[in-house]
Amino acid sequence: MDVVMIDQDDRLAPVPSWLRGVVLFSLFGMASVSLADSVCVEDDLQRLVCLEAPAERIISLSPGVTELLFAAGAGERIVGTTSFSDYPEAAEAIPRIGSYKRIDMENLLAKEPDLVVAWISGNPTEQVERLDELGLTVYWGEQRDFEDIAHTLERYGQLAGTESAANQAARDFRAGIAELNERHADAPVVPYLYQIWDDPMMTVNGEHLISEAAAVCGGENIFGDLPRLTPRVDRESVLAADPEVIVAGGMGESNPAWLDPWREYRDMTAVKRDNLFFIPPSTIQRPTPRLLEGMRTLCDQLEEARERR
Amino acid sequence: MYRGDLHRMLPPLLLLAAMALVSLALAVGIGSVPISLAELWAVLMGKGESLHHTLVVDLRLPRALAAFATGGLLGVAGALMQVLLRNPLADPYVLGLSGGAAVGALLAMVFGLGMTVVSGSAFAGAMVSVVLVFGLAHGTGSWTPTRLLLTGVVVAAGWGAVITFMLAISPTERIPGMLYWLMGDLAYARSPWTAMTVLGLACLLIVPLGRSLNVLARGPLQAAALGVAVRPLTWSIYAVASLLTAVAVTTAGSIGFVGLIVPHMLRLVLGNDQRLILPASALGGGILLVLADTLARTLLAPEQLPVGVITAMLGVPTFLFLLYRSR
Repeated sequence: MDVVMIDQDDRLAPVPSWLRGVVLFSLFGMASVSLADSVCVEDDLQRLVCLEAPAERIISLSPGVTELLFAAGAGERIVGTTSFSDYPEAAEAIPRIGSYKRIDMENLLAKEPDLVVAWISGNPTEQVERLDELGLTVYWGEQRDFEDIAHTLERYGQLAGTESAANQAARDFRAGIAELNERHADAPVVPYLYQIWDDPMMTVNGEHLISEAAAVCGGENIFGDLPRLTPRVDRESVLAADPEVIVAGGMGESNPAWLDPWREYRDMTAVKRDNLFFIPPSTIQRPTPRLLEGMRTLCDQLEEARERR
Repeated sequence: MYRGDLHRMLPPLLLLAAMALVSLALAVGIGSVPISLAELWAVLMGKGESLHHTLVVDLRLPRALAAFATGGLLGVAGALMQVLLRNPLADPYVLGLSGGAAVGALLAMVFGLGMTVVSGSAFAGAMVSVVLVFGLAHGTGSWTPTRLLLTGVVVAAGWGAVITFMLAISPTERIPGMLYWLMGDLAYARSPWTAMTVLGLACLLIVPLGRSLNVLARGPLQAAALGVAVRPLTWSIYAVASLLTAVAVTTAGSIGFVGLIVPHMLRLVLGNDQRLILPASALGGGILLVLADTLARTLLAPEQLPVGVITAMLGVPTFLFLLYRSR
């Protein structure tokens, strides 16, 4: 296999200065690093991931990773992905190698990948570490904010040798965020509830990407201070906080059924003003460039709520 | 052991050993990537493609051996508990051991620690539970299997509540891993050697005690009358059974059912002679878990099922058939 693996010991060893230069250079995403075609990027565990040649056979270990790889122009190099990888349409045709929670190791190895892209908080650590031990090159990723998404696109572009498409996608994403930021810079604050699950009712706290997205257009999460990323809350605490807007995802991409139970609370501000909005969950709950689409929907909804004051 | 006994016991044990080898061969030969017999042979001879070598030697073989060892440990531990507590419903977890191990393991998972810490923490939890149950059951001196059993059941219920509490407050993204651990899953098993060694040592230690156990199964009074040192014997065997269970739980999470059903199945077929039942439980538990794990890996591949689902699906009809036939 023509892949250079950085194993555990090498990772701890001081990085040669020329290599550090390469990494810094690539971290700022200025251009591709071409050193006899080899490329190194730092993943989200701050490990150095190196390839001698651009990745030709990539395994994606989550639907989100698949979506990001497609956005970075590397979609057709994916040789295996997990179940529920449904976007873009071309992803449906990629062979499956298990679910993101339980990977079919044999099937994965049989694809003879030169790069495995893992999801830090979703994939089972012990299985992915095993892949690393078996000599595969593993990139660990996690996108916690907008900049992570853009920067991930750039790094995927470098690993797959599709920099021009990837950097363009990253630029578009940053520009889209900047534009929304500018348009809603002076927008009055709207307290909202975002419901990610119905039974039990679950929302997100202030650290969640959805809260960051809503904050851009003046939304203020009523449960922003809770310690867990996706806390379980009861209806009573929602009634007490009385949000001006309630936004919910739902089962499937066009089923606003989760909003109906709220309608019986006629005294709530959100119900009185009919500020119950639906967002297709995959556009806002996945850390991918499609987030921009979800954010535009959300910003329009908050704007509508302001007009109904 | 009399010559006649040996003649009677050897055939079933040899048959079980042969079945164990067949089950291991199946586990190594079958997977979601098809490998032909010729290719498999090439790999075993040290030749063959490197991909096939990785699949067979690095993935399938360690996992099959870990499954065998775990099943064997649970089988032996279950057989011992059933004899000591003189209760057919006793299983390796009856003294709250899996609950303690689960709390230890989940605690490590909540804090996002690695699998080595999770294993160590599970083992520590199991030991805490054992000490707790024995300490409480010992109490004011009157020490009976019933008292021990009751203490174990109540402590297990307590652990159950702690587990539910931890699942309720844990970060959502950690919950799938925790649930898989609770269901029992051999994907966690890295190296089978600890479990294999413990199983081997336990068999060497326990099998010579078979005669005393046979007497003990008739009740502690009869055993004492027949010259068995009841107290030291029961205590050390509880300790061994707990240790076996702790190692099994540490290797593959809490896999239910094997420890309860395997010894009963074998008793229905082979009779209740502990000299035969204990080694047979080691082999029988191993066979059941190896077959179950092979199915779990391949049945819905690439989706991977937890092995506990399959152990019950294989074990329940087999057991009911044997029970029905033995009327």
